[in-house]
Amino acid sequence: MLHLFDGVRALGFGTVALKTLIACLCGAVIGLERSTKNRPAGFRTHILVCLGAAVASLTALYIYLELRLPADISRIGGNVITGLGFIGAGTIIITKRMSIKGLTTAAGLWTTGIIGLAIGSGYIELGLIGTVLVLLSETLMARVSSAIQSSPEYALELLYIEKTSLDHVLRFCKDNRMSITNLKIQTIEDPEAKYAAEIRLRGAMKQDALLNKVQHMPGIVASMAL
Amino acid sequence: MMRSLAVLRQFSFGTMLLRLLLAMLSGGAVGYGRSRKARAAGLRTYMLISIGAAMAVLLTLYQYQMLTGPWAEVVAQVGMKFDAARLASQVITGIGFLGAGIIIKIAHQQVKGLTTATGLFATVIMGIAAGAGFYECVTVALVLIVLVLNVMSPLEIAFKRRLRNITLNVEFRSVEDIERITRVIEAQEAKVYDIDVERTEPKDDKYPSAIFILQLSRKNHSHSGMLSSVAELDCVHSVQELIS
Repeated sequence: MLHLFDGVRALGFGTVALKTLIACLCGAVIGLERSTKNRPAGFRTHILVCLGAAVASLTALYIYLELRLPADISRIGGNVITGLGFIGAGTIIITKRMSIKGLTTAAGLWTTGIIGLAIGSGYIELGLIGTVLVLLSETLMARVSSAIQSSPEYALELLYIEKTSLDHVLRFCKDNRMSITNLKIQTIEDPEAKYAAEIRLRGAMKQDALLNKVQHMPGIVASMAL
Repeated sequence: MMRSLAVLRQFSFGTMLLRLLLAMLSGGAVGYGRSRKARAAGLRTYMLISIGAAMAVLLTLYQYQMLTGPWAEVVAQVGMKFDAARLASQVITGIGFLGAGIIIKIAHQQVKGLTTATGLFATVIMGIAAGAGFYECVTVALVLIVLVLNVMSPLEIAFKRRLRNITLNVEFRSVEDIERITRVIEAQEAKVYDIDVERTEPKDDKYPSAIFILQLSRKNHSHSGMLSSVAELDCVHSVQELIS
């Protein structure tokens, strides 16, 4: 621990004011970064969470150190962590295409609460370093995150007459280390084809390359990307 | 426990910094693999919750330090009412709720996001270990979590493709067709364990449908073969294999 902050570890009007102020500032800095990206939880949300958590810690200390009542000084703080889990769950949005949005915001909000707890308890250095690390992960890593290449899932539709045609295609996919995540076969009313198969898959081969190979395979009437 | 790490187990500004960085990096290492798969929770999410968890434990250590040092006089008068595991335990509950928010029910009795939620759960507990300075555990847990999340998933898919138990979602013309479908499945020497009718009447341009849970025969366990035979029936509009 740094001796620099020894004066503000105890309770007193001045230290209470200072700690709540620092908590507001830390929340504001984290919130500002989120606001600039136009995320649901912005400036005020983060300040309120950080401030609230700091007040929770301060009150716990007050009950124990000033009122001298038997209490576990970590209980209130502990429930702040659980409570923020609830709020975080509420910021998560499921879009129409069944993907999830807002998880990073939820995680950031949750960590901001713990920063507030640390500051309120008087462990100011932990709160400050925590703030720096949160900013680092949210800004620097945003670039790293978007730079990471991923192999996305895609879908193909094949039209064919004989059911063995599909088996050839599936064998080909397997041999090329593609993993099939879903398969759907439909009967269709078409003069040239009898079945339509929708294959969802992911792996090393690009969609165009795979499509090129597949459309020349025996029995495949038509193939298209979905 | 390794004796050589005794210095790092002390509670000081330096070890605090070290543990927070360890939590951030180990969380990031788990998140890196998940980001590559374009999952909901990426690098940043894993880092943030891991930092938070480590902070909670460090805060506990700080509080204990204060209770046994500057506040010892209060402790002597009121008594020690402190649980060093409390904050960490609430961290686990809190992340449980967050995780519940990402599990979504998609069509046909399937869920999505379960691996992400449990990945966050395991990572947050690794963050707790990092905050406590349990370096050995963090190292082992990191290796195992990364292994399970990245190496196991292709294995699991490959394994599921070879399983004899499969689940099919079949759309057909009317409920009476279920009997014909069952007969076709049984003609392939497969056993039908369960039929769960989802829709009995056509509604909003959706056909009646049911979920068939079946076990393929030992000799002939090609999934696509079974799908093709069901699809061949005139009454079947579509058949889809459900892989969770």
